[in-house]
Amino acid sequence: MSNSRSEMASLRSTTTFSKMRRKLPIGIVAGLGLLAAGCAQDAPQDTFDPAGENAQKIQDLQVPVFILAGVVGVIVLGVVGFVLVRYRDRGQAIPEQSHGNPALEIVLTILPALILIGVAIPTVGTLMALDETDDTECIINVTGQQWWWEVDYPVQDGCGSGISEVIVTSGQMVIPTGTNVLVRGTSRDVIHSWWIPRLNGKRDMVPGRVHHVRLQADEPGIYAGQCTEFCGLSHANMRMEVIAMEPDDFEIWKQGQTADYVAPAEGTLAAEGESTFIAQCSGCHQVNGLTDSDGDPVIAKPATAVYSGATPNLSWLMTRNTFAGASFNLLTPECRADVWDAPPETVGEKYLEGVSPECLNSVELREWLRDAPAKKPMYASGALEDTNGLTRGMPDLGLSEDQIDQIVAYLLERQ
Amino acid sequence: MLTTGSKLLIGSAVLATIAAIVYGIDQGGAIGTVGLASAAAALSFLAGVNLLTRDANVFADDENVIDSCEAADPAPGNSIWPMAFALGAVVLCVGLVTYPAVFIVGIVLLLAAGAEWMTQAWAEQASHEAAHNSEVRSRIANPLEFPLAAAIGVGIVVFAFSRIMLWLEKVGTVVAFGVLAGIIVIVAFLFAYRGGLRSRTAIGAIGVAVVGLVAGGAAAGLDGERDIHPHETTAELADEGICEDPEETEADHNAAQSVGATAAVAAELTLSESGELTFEVNGPIPAGATALTLPSSNLNNVLFHNESSEDRRLSVDFGTKTVTHDGEDEVVANQICTTLVEDGGVQNMFVEVGLPSSTNPGGYFFFVPGVDTATLELVVP
Repeated sequence: MSNSRSEMASLRSTTTFSKMRRKLPIGIVAGLGLLAAGCAQDAPQDTFDPAGENAQKIQDLQVPVFILAGVVGVIVLGVVGFVLVRYRDRGQAIPEQSHGNPALEIVLTILPALILIGVAIPTVGTLMALDETDDTECIINVTGQQWWWEVDYPVQDGCGSGISEVIVTSGQMVIPTGTNVLVRGTSRDVIHSWWIPRLNGKRDMVPGRVHHVRLQADEPGIYAGQCTEFCGLSHANMRMEVIAMEPDDFEIWKQGQTADYVAPAEGTLAAEGESTFIAQCSGCHQVNGLTDSDGDPVIAKPATAVYSGATPNLSWLMTRNTFAGASFNLLTPECRADVWDAPPETVGEKYLEGVSPECLNSVELREWLRDAPAKKPMYASGALEDTNGLTRGMPDLGLSEDQIDQIVAYLLERQ
Repeated sequence: MLTTGSKLLIGSAVLATIAAIVYGIDQGGAIGTVGLASAAAALSFLAGVNLLTRDANVFADDENVIDSCEAADPAPGNSIWPMAFALGAVVLCVGLVTYPAVFIVGIVLLLAAGAEWMTQAWAEQASHEAAHNSEVRSRIANPLEFPLAAAIGVGIVVFAFSRIMLWLEKVGTVVAFGVLAGIIVIVAFLFAYRGGLRSRTAIGAIGVAVVGLVAGGAAAGLDGERDIHPHETTAELADEGICEDPEETEADHNAAQSVGATAAVAAELTLSESGELTFEVNGPIPAGATALTLPSSNLNNVLFHNESSEDRRLSVDFGTKTVTHDGEDEVVANQICTTLVEDGGVQNMFVEVGLPSSTNPGGYFFFVPGVDTATLELVVP
């Protein structure tokens, strides 16, 4: 009777193992498929492709740690797999049971401890190195809100030849190459996280607190990033880009950002757009130097309409390549590729060309002006009751097609 | 003989009537008075019906039989819970038209009396033996009653204690309760070393102390709290238009203890002995920066360190603003400020600005009233 039960168990085990063995190739193919899915030739947010000193420090730490962790993982999984197969239930007698093996337990305690100490020492060293701010050469402030980043450059001697007048932009941060940039970040509403994977690790931006992250780009280029702390309905659409350009190009960019306002020529569509902009948009969006028909400055008061109390400054919108929290491109795909794929020595030059009428991605810009919430989810139905009627982003203004044409023409001159 | 149900309804009707009279005289509210009077009328009507039908109990009138026969089940014992339950219901109704606190007391009383009533009624059906029933009731109810009673008792003592503390002057509070604590220690010491002390004596002493404390608390509570200097907010100071004044308001000598002083800050401004106003931020300051930059529409936490030898306040000037007084627009200074901060003190100020500094012709700037050299430009992009 006992032998019969043992034989049945052995038969059942062998059958199960045979079935598993038949499915093994499927499992291997599926696993490799998953692995392959993580590969990409053109991955702008590749943390394993550092483009600056700080990202390189992270790379120098993460690669050996990943290798070490991988070796440990393979050993552990291999031993577990071996035990599962070798000692599977085949109806054999239960082996002699023992309790405790001091030598083995000591080894299995000390070995992981040594590995962790080995990982901790360079990790702490890297963290301290990334936290260094003594060599800062340029300070830039970023402020997060649902769902875009405001970037401002305070008055300073740094950032190349210095900044004598505050520069305010959004979505894209322009930095000079080879310069130690210190980003001072905070948030106006909820917790966001600033991350440009190729330039440094991520850093939470918390309301009421100021956090730092260092950036430094070796070569000119456009480095993509996105918010990495879930921050609401359009969290996935809260992107940002850092444009690194040669110091000379950066000087040109700074001059452009502080240039005087130039009103559209009278009788043009853009001139009509200016009036429409004042009537429809200037309540929230600031354009520096814009005056009304009486010559009085037009001052935006976003705090009266928007929950975060801030909106992007549109003074030089068309010097940027993106809009609406860098969610959408101001350039057509061809023109954008022309900038993104440019060799490092010409990236700055291409970027400084701004958005020409031919390159304007007017389709998405018009869609945005037609009904912004339909283009980028910004608040759930009924959410306005929680914010006292203030919107979390741009509302549907109900603009006519003529008004949209006028505003697009006006904005196109903001460069 | 009045039946139990009739007693409940009559009691409720009387209390509702009293409540209606008291409310009508004291509060003068028509709706509340009518509501309570209606409740009294309805309860009176129900009491009448109940009296007429004798609780719908055919044996209720047959008093001779009841008096002469041995009961199959023991009669319910005396209970205060029906009356307490009725009182709770009336207090609840009074609370509906007066104060939320009265309403909450009514609910608590109603629930407590109901629970006690049900527990007692249930326990009285446990057996024919009253002693056993009483033990059953105690076993069920005491684990809940004792901690609750203890909590209520401690709460009353603590509340009375706090009333006395708030009634006494600040220094007097320290002295009085220092002395009290000393007395407690001495008495406890005597209790510990006088082994022959009877428990009745100890209970008596503690009882007297508790009664004294509660009586003192009640008297102090009725007399009200001492004058407590309010910690004025920056907004209140701005409304009073004193942000340019170096004197007059009382210095907040506890400013450095405020939570904000240890919270995350956007900037720290220091007034030096020489009258210079300098700033620091978390991390390096931009080289060559002569102005502090803070984001707009953001709750910026700014700490003011007063290292001068006099009480000083930090103010921020945002230009002017228009306010409406008695239907007329008036242009006033748009400023916020801290209270006066003592020498060596620290105080927090929230700076939240909706508009960029470029929108004000003179820009924004920090300043210290009475110290002409202490100014610092504030840039809001």
